[in-house]
Amino acid sequence: MRRARPLLGTLVEIEVDGATQAAAERAIAAAFEAVSLVQRLMSFHDADSDVGRINRSAFRTPVTVHPWTARVLRHAEVLHAATDGLFDCAVGHEFIRRGLLPADGLDHVSPGGFGAVRLPADRSVCLTAPVAIDLGGIAKGYAVDRAIATLRAAGIRGATVNAGGDLRVMGDTDQPIYVRIPGGGLLPVGSLRNGAIATSSSLATIDRGGAPHQSPGSPPDRRAYSVVAPSCVVADALTKILVQTGNPRHPCFGSFGATAFISVDDLQSVAA
Amino acid sequence: MKWTPLLTAPAAIVLIAPAGATVYMSEQQAMQTIFPGASFSPAGKAGVFRASSGGIVVIDRVLGKHEYIKYAVGITAGGAVKHIEIIEYNESYGYEVREASWRSQFVGKNASSPLQLNVDIKNISGATLSCKHITDGVRRIVGQSQSLKGQ
Repeated sequence: MRRARPLLGTLVEIEVDGATQAAAERAIAAAFEAVSLVQRLMSFHDADSDVGRINRSAFRTPVTVHPWTARVLRHAEVLHAATDGLFDCAVGHEFIRRGLLPADGLDHVSPGGFGAVRLPADRSVCLTAPVAIDLGGIAKGYAVDRAIATLRAAGIRGATVNAGGDLRVMGDTDQPIYVRIPGGGLLPVGSLRNGAIATSSSLATIDRGGAPHQSPGSPPDRRAYSVVAPSCVVADALTKILVQTGNPRHPCFGSFGATAFISVDDLQSVAA
Repeated sequence: MKWTPLLTAPAAIVLIAPAGATVYMSEQQAMQTIFPGASFSPAGKAGVFRASSGGIVVIDRVLGKHEYIKYAVGITAGGAVKHIEIIEYNESYGYEVREASWRSQFVGKNASSPLQLNVDIKNISGATLSCKHITDGVRRIVGQSQSLKGQ
């Protein structure tokens, strides 16, 4: 059974196998609810979300967040350290400056990075500089992981969750994986069992220095940057490293048990 | 985790993207998902159904990237969106079709045109457009929900 709903700024699709219709409906509804909770907690656009509250007040006073938000911030902290700062979700100022994110109530925000974020053990978040966090590069993957966990808890044994390029499969069979090439078609790239794959394009990524990852006037980058990893939160975050470095052999992929490759629409280059 | 990469893919395969619509559910299933257990009667306008439990379901379609997305919106008796389900998502025509629609943006340009992505040539994004259009569609339906209800 397959169902889809517009969430997380994309179309989230959930497919489950091997369950009765009623059980599948219930499990899928619970999984969508988990995805929608991630959206409510981690939306940059919502001033009342955990991220909205962090960006508005954590520079002045600690902000207590939901355990899921705390988990994603921990992932972000680990990734920031493991990639020498290449993965940085505290560059909200740059997105605002470029008009990619709204500035409502964020006039105090200044440039900076994840080094300004403090995560004490009690789920309260502090900022030592007035930076803005945007979890857009990692929360979608986490939402996919939560959806899979919810389906598993409901007794589902085989499932696929796909949130606009962030995909995770669970079950005993190998699932064929296609990658969408920017401006092109779908390319078969392999098969995956009990794992996650995330695909990004350079158009969707801004690098650490805040530059768009493509210089104006250059021809559009028609490559798709994919990372396969045990969890979707890691796969999602590591696509940003692949876009920035262009190097599927960057050591950070191996340290997370991940594999990276870049696809193009006239030939496919695969490197582990 | 088990990942089996396809090491070599013939270039031609790109030209044969899987075609056709993805149907997630029927209109009836969508209505039942939105208002479980209710029965439905036509409200007099095409695609608008009244639920026995109160509220309406509107079956609508919006343009995604190149193709229509058919979806259902449930509106409570109070006029609030209750639930949205995607019924049918038509994506993936061939490579050429996608290309043609993108290339057509270049028609009429000349040397004084900027010819820059995101300046005068629209970026091709993934599903962002689909969702923007669905959001716009829902906003329109909610705005019209009083008149759609009839009576």
